[in-house]
Amino acid sequence: MNLLHPDARVVDAATGEMLTPAMIDVALPPGERGPLFMGMPTTVPAVARYLAALRLGRPVLLLDPETDQTSLRARYTTTDVHPDLALLLTTSGSTGDPKLVRLSRSAVLANAEQVAESLGVTGDDVAITTLPLFYSYGLSVLHSHLLRGATVVLDRTGIMRKDFWTAVDEHRVTSMAFVPSQYEMLRRLRFDPAKHPFVRTLTQAGGRLRTDLVSDFAGRMEAAGGRMFVMYGQTEAAPRMACLPPSHLAGKLGSVGRAMPGGAFTIEDGEVVYRGPNVMMGYAETAADLARGDDQGGVLRTGDLGRLDDEGFLYLTGRLKRMGKVFGVRINLDDVERQFPVAAVAGDDRIHVFAEGLSADEVRALRTKIAEWLGAHFTGVDVRTIEVLPLLPNGKTDYRALEASL
Amino acid sequence: MTELQRLRAAFRTALDLPADAPVDDLSYQDNEKWDSLAHMSLVATIEDEFSVMIDTDDVINMSSFAEAVKILGKYGVDVK
Repeated sequence: MNLLHPDARVVDAATGEMLTPAMIDVALPPGERGPLFMGMPTTVPAVARYLAALRLGRPVLLLDPETDQTSLRARYTTTDVHPDLALLLTTSGSTGDPKLVRLSRSAVLANAEQVAESLGVTGDDVAITTLPLFYSYGLSVLHSHLLRGATVVLDRTGIMRKDFWTAVDEHRVTSMAFVPSQYEMLRRLRFDPAKHPFVRTLTQAGGRLRTDLVSDFAGRMEAAGGRMFVMYGQTEAAPRMACLPPSHLAGKLGSVGRAMPGGAFTIEDGEVVYRGPNVMMGYAETAADLARGDDQGGVLRTGDLGRLDDEGFLYLTGRLKRMGKVFGVRINLDDVERQFPVAAVAGDDRIHVFAEGLSADEVRALRTKIAEWLGAHFTGVDVRTIEVLPLLPNGKTDYRALEASL
Repeated sequence: MTELQRLRAAFRTALDLPADAPVDDLSYQDNEKWDSLAHMSLVATIEDEFSVMIDTDDVINMSSFAEAVKILGKYGVDVK
């Protein structure tokens, strides 16, 4: 797979370390088979190892470096893997749900190309990591820039630290990718693109960003001669499916854009269905599934509800299942309730969890436990104690009442 | 409550620490809970608690409890 353009550069902002072809050559021993279980920190050696696995045709499962791999290794170790299989990603941060998304070489490459084309990435672009590389949005930034011979600056400090903004200026970063919670941070930082004159492109994905912030940041970028793109995707689509270009942002506010080049949306019984070359081969729940071929035929039922306007712009209106999103990662609220004695509702980039009769210490302990189980940041989980959970006449939890109490 | 007690409480709330956790020597590098999301929550909590609006440069420079004390001093909050 030729994901790495010969002119592409990867540089570590803190150490200055640069990726070289020789590093990729020696990063992995050839001849080994079966999936590579790989904690993926944002470092040059990790990127070299990942690219080596892709080049050797060895499927790689990218994980949070903090994740305990024991149960995943026990579940998925095999030497019998399908020859098209390139990349395995978890569907959520949840260790409670070990289901994997199987992505083929061609889907990964197709989406890198679709994203690069949609954003107009060139060899002059410089992206900086703002998201983990084991997360599909963060990984797609790496892919789409390596493909076009651009530069990717590896930062591990995050946008609330001075070192990040120093790196943005020193490396003349042109493009940054953020999820909704980071736009809230940028608003707090009073992000002014004029202070970082090389920054031309902002992208947004990983969940719905409220429209006033979309307009706000689009306005800030436009005033500084830059652009903002709203995008929509799922890990199952490697991951981008739609892009709202800056020229349509004002006129189609609230839309997540049109299908990626080569892709198409339909609405079937209210559900958004995507067809394109970047759709996964299918899920894996057992080691035997890693030998399976393409189960999807290029069709992905997204589980999102939505509508298309007459120019093909997609508007999302909800989820089929009860889902929440925490920092861009999908959370099945019913799974949370199966695991803990709570009632869970979705909030703005966080989940609200209600449990009966907890002390302050128990509230904190439960919050930590749920966040750890989800593999999510603790600020994404809000735990509240309640005397008695409200019930509907049919005995089911009255989620409306809980939402109203927030 | 004194300003010092209020600032300690703000740190404990934002970093999800127990009510009796020592915080005076905390710094960004050595506390794993203090990442960028917790940092945003910390700045918001401090702004609410002391009714101040912290400048961007101060937000990204606030890398320890001691630094927060110093920065609040610039906004007329005397933490002691």
